[in-house]
Amino acid sequence: MQRIQTSLRNNWQQAVEKLGFGFHTTDVPYWDESAYYSFTLNEIEQIEKATNTLWELCLKAVQHVIDNKLYSKFHIPKSYISYIENTWNDDVPSIYGRFDLCYKNGKIKMLEFNADTPTSLYEAGIVQWFWLQDFDANKDQFNSIHEKLIAYWKYLKVYLQPGKLHFTCLKETLEDLTNTEYIRDCAIQAGIDTKLVFIDDIGWDENAKQFVDMEDESIRNIFKLYPWEWLAAEEFGKNILEDSNKIFWIEPSWKMILSNKAILPILWELNPDCEYLLPAYFDDNGMKDYVKKPILSREGANIEMVKHYGTIEKTNGEYGEEGFVYQQLFELPDFDNNYPVIGSWIIGQEAAGIGIREANNLITDNKSRFVPHLIS
Amino acid sequence: MKKSKTIQLILITAALASCQEKKTEPEWGSGNKTYVRGDSTAPYARTHHGSGMLGVALWYYAFRPYGNYSNGRYSRAGYYSGAIPNGSNIGSNGYKAGVTRGGFGRGGYSVGS
Repeated sequence: MQRIQTSLRNNWQQAVEKLGFGFHTTDVPYWDESAYYSFTLNEIEQIEKATNTLWELCLKAVQHVIDNKLYSKFHIPKSYISYIENTWNDDVPSIYGRFDLCYKNGKIKMLEFNADTPTSLYEAGIVQWFWLQDFDANKDQFNSIHEKLIAYWKYLKVYLQPGKLHFTCLKETLEDLTNTEYIRDCAIQAGIDTKLVFIDDIGWDENAKQFVDMEDESIRNIFKLYPWEWLAAEEFGKNILEDSNKIFWIEPSWKMILSNKAILPILWELNPDCEYLLPAYFDDNGMKDYVKKPILSREGANIEMVKHYGTIEKTNGEYGEEGFVYQQLFELPDFDNNYPVIGSWIIGQEAAGIGIREANNLITDNKSRFVPHLIS
Repeated sequence: MKKSKTIQLILITAALASCQEKKTEPEWGSGNKTYVRGDSTAPYARTHHGSGMLGVALWYYAFRPYGNYSNGRYSRAGYYSGAIPNGSNIGSNGYKAGVTRGGFGRGGYSVGS
């Protein structure tokens, strides 16, 4: 894995905007093609193997949590427990997830799993691919995200309930809308009848006990880019449990278990010999080098990094009320003060590609940059 | 890895094509371009795109912001795209009785994970 400086395309802003990528720059650059990461095929195959292995371990861990009723460790509302178990037992489909991996000195370690609402899918699947076509079309990339999304929607099509597949996200965020519309694009190409409704606009028909869209059309299946912990906490959340349609929510509610960082100690407890996992606990367990993470948090908020018993980095935020986990410190590799984390996608049941975000500090936060990659 | 050389984007390409075909802003209810109008009770004034520096900068965007000006300050209310049904965008469907809306979406600004 190497970081290589390179030149920007002359018209890079236009090039990415033509793809519909409208959030390449905020108050700081987000899309950054002034460098790329180069991997050998062997390194990519290691990442692919790690991703597939971790996905299998995650599914076993969900079963373990359900079998042993460990919900309190996850602060999952009691009212949702039987619903989660039902969606797990009924195999309500999941389409994707993103493991955040650290790759250093030939070792791959899972930092966390974004199982419910992973973003940067469009950047990883489309934008960096077209960058490669301009940069060197003869090179390859670990990137079959687009093909696998279409293929998995085709596979899932027969399992959906009759009717449309709705897609929903927050109204006020271009990043979320782009990611959602991209996934909907792939579903359309898989032959699925789709419709977009913003999460803010979803209605509840009290008489029919059904969720409806803006045309009062009943919702039967819905892909949501909106976290389960928010759905469950909001005013409408109780209606999910009373819904006469028993909507297929994708991602399904059992992903509440995997998207919660309480899964990290569980995974470690079940698989202490796994080379891809870091020791993790619900307390510091006497570790002198560790990262303290809220079980529910986003974009690197409320993280504390401790080395030799002293704090070396810490971020602010509004999370932590539900508790913390403690994961052994495994520092990201340092490429001249650029610290990359590899987002490795699982689409359907298979590793599908990677996207790399790098920051100028060890905690990858919402100021991180997306940097493309290739296979040398 | 082993990605096919042909990638099609139906929705996003269509939205972009729609943006490029329309050189002037259509009137309400005409043309293919649609406007997200999530909540028919929320007041807003549609802003104009396609002119000035902002319009040029946004020309290629599949999803464009809309919002309103209040006390001289612009406040973004959301994004619209040609992919959203007209009825949703402009809130023309008057029959909403018995349906409660707005119960979701208060959790945050962006999922960003």
